[in-house]
Amino acid sequence: MKVTINGKEIEVKEGTSIIEAMQQSGDRIAHYCWHPGLSVAGVCRLCMVEIEGNPRVQIACNTMCTEGMKVNNTSEKVRDAVKWGLDFHLINHPLDCPICDQAGECGLQDQYMEYGKYDPEMAEAKVKKHKVVDLGPTVVLDSERCILCSRCVRFTEEVSKTNELGIFNRGDRSEIGTHEGVELNNKYSMNTVDICPVGALTSKDFRFRQRVWYLKDAETVCNGCSTGCSVKTYYNKEGFFRVKPVYNEQVNGYWMCDEGRDLYKFVNKDARILKATVRVNGVQTEMTAGAAAKAANEVLKSASADSLALVLTAQYTVEEFDAIVSTFVNEFKSKKIYFWINNKENFDSFDGLLLRGDKNPNTKGLLKVLEKHGITATWNDLSSGLSSGAVKTVVVAGPENQVVFPDFADRVREISKAQNVIWMQAGKNEALSGLTGNVWIIPTKSYVEKDGTFINHAGLEQKFKKVTTVVSEALTLTEAALLLAGKNLVMPTPTPFMPTNQRSDQVTLEARKKNEFVFRRGSL
Amino acid sequence: MSVMQNNSEKAKWYLPGILGGMGITMKHLVKNLLNRKKMMTLNYPEEKYEYSPRFKGNHVLTVKKDGSLRCTACMLCATNCPAECIKITAAEHNDPHVEKYPISYEIDILRCVFCGYCEEACPVDAIRLGPEWQTPAVNGGNFIYDINHLAYRPNLKGGIQTHVDDEERNKSGI
Repeated sequence: MKVTINGKEIEVKEGTSIIEAMQQSGDRIAHYCWHPGLSVAGVCRLCMVEIEGNPRVQIACNTMCTEGMKVNNTSEKVRDAVKWGLDFHLINHPLDCPICDQAGECGLQDQYMEYGKYDPEMAEAKVKKHKVVDLGPTVVLDSERCILCSRCVRFTEEVSKTNELGIFNRGDRSEIGTHEGVELNNKYSMNTVDICPVGALTSKDFRFRQRVWYLKDAETVCNGCSTGCSVKTYYNKEGFFRVKPVYNEQVNGYWMCDEGRDLYKFVNKDARILKATVRVNGVQTEMTAGAAAKAANEVLKSASADSLALVLTAQYTVEEFDAIVSTFVNEFKSKKIYFWINNKENFDSFDGLLLRGDKNPNTKGLLKVLEKHGITATWNDLSSGLSSGAVKTVVVAGPENQVVFPDFADRVREISKAQNVIWMQAGKNEALSGLTGNVWIIPTKSYVEKDGTFINHAGLEQKFKKVTTVVSEALTLTEAALLLAGKNLVMPTPTPFMPTNQRSDQVTLEARKKNEFVFRRGSL
Repeated sequence: MSVMQNNSEKAKWYLPGILGGMGITMKHLVKNLLNRKKMMTLNYPEEKYEYSPRFKGNHVLTVKKDGSLRCTACMLCATNCPAECIKITAAEHNDPHVEKYPISYEIDILRCVFCGYCEEACPVDAIRLGPEWQTPAVNGGNFIYDINHLAYRPNLKGGIQTHVDDEERNKSGI
């Protein structure tokens, strides 16, 4: 079916609405109530378009394309309609932008900059509604800012199917609210904050902590459970501040769960191990991660293959598992490699939308690597080996998301029966101080600090890129595997001040020229 | 650089110029000796020059009628600051009409260039550049001004009020 949009002819499928066709053609169109993941409500009246042959402007979200339709949203008539529609939206909207968390990513703000009717003609005073309404454990409502697009109401009806929200009262006294005795408390409640086109619904967690224009964002894969949602993390030099979902048709659609949104917390510096701790013969020293791994190599080298074990949690990337498992199999000739399973019994549970019982992002990936190297050892072997004293040295790649490992302290106690424990982990944990014998605690990088692949529950391989560095000294398991095997890290050769396309005979400077004034500055 | 020599006839007539200059100096000397009140100079630091109220000196955070801070911690001043000398931490206020307020507002005055952009960026008239301009200190001095200094330093006498209060604004439906 051929449709002409703003003079461009495009091919669309049967049953496409005009707004979808406009997204396809890349034309900008304002929309507050329309959301691709929800049903069409048609209440905001902002996606106005002019259709040739039709005397009135129409809404694009609820009008289907027909063969040969000619649509535009740039004509004077449409601009005028949008301008007045916007004025109507803003009649009761408070001037809250300095306080509002949505400032900087607010649809109403953007639209006002483009189509604003800068001289309002309303003589009436604004209708004041409720300001800080506590909707539930995660969300705060400001009904003055709300433009009644009903996205959040439709979300609780159609996606989470919990029906907590509704629109109450009539006319300009309409307000979003929860039904009597119910609070907005479901596992997907924060999605309502994401889809709110203005700042009416704000997240309690993110509220007032940063202005959005101070944040950078980068896509990654959520490591909260085996679903592996595509997410965007928002961060700056002070740390990570929030996580939002990214549309991924195969995995999560437009949504993500509230649990996943908490996962930036264990990445931040205050929750992390910053320095390696080494305790040999009762003498405790702090050193850098790399040095500790090299020191641990001394023990691993002298240990016999039978007394050596490796414990893995399914929270690392496929590449890392491959590196450390092949190091163990090839260098140390040990096949005592064990999968630390946190809560086996509810691995298969699924809430029907996104949340899965398996809280590891890469269980499939770990199993694949273990299978590739022909490893069949079970945890019982390790337990008996530890009690009998046959296993003397244990290398552990501990969990990143420690909340989902309720048996953490028990396992630490069990493993501390070994003489030497090399524990690699990203986050701090009190229980680690209970390790006896010789201990190497080595900080590792978290999932936002490395490139890699997670394989989700359905076997889908998702590659992700490094977002930023939080603890620069920390090692990835790949690096740790090299150092533990007594090799050196292969660093990419840095060519910081040279263009990549330089001539082969070009002379390079030995070092960067120093600015004498800066370096020899005395006290003021 | 090269040295130029002026060998013209005119250059030999330097004395009238010098005497003219000396004459002006003597005129001021005599005038100042006879009428000391009209002297153009000040005995700093005992006497200080008062600039106009529009002078852009040290910052002041304005307050509402009840004496609480006007600032809503919107960070527009910090965003707009070319010297990046403003640091604000926001927090939630107990009063739902206030909602957001700064729990810390710091200006690194050694970095500040007194451009006045913060004043212009502020949507609620919370920060102004005041008439104070002499705040010297030695190395140990406090050059990071906090809320206490910016809003409640002694010579502000309890804080400078803004024209419109939140409550008034709310009532009149703005």
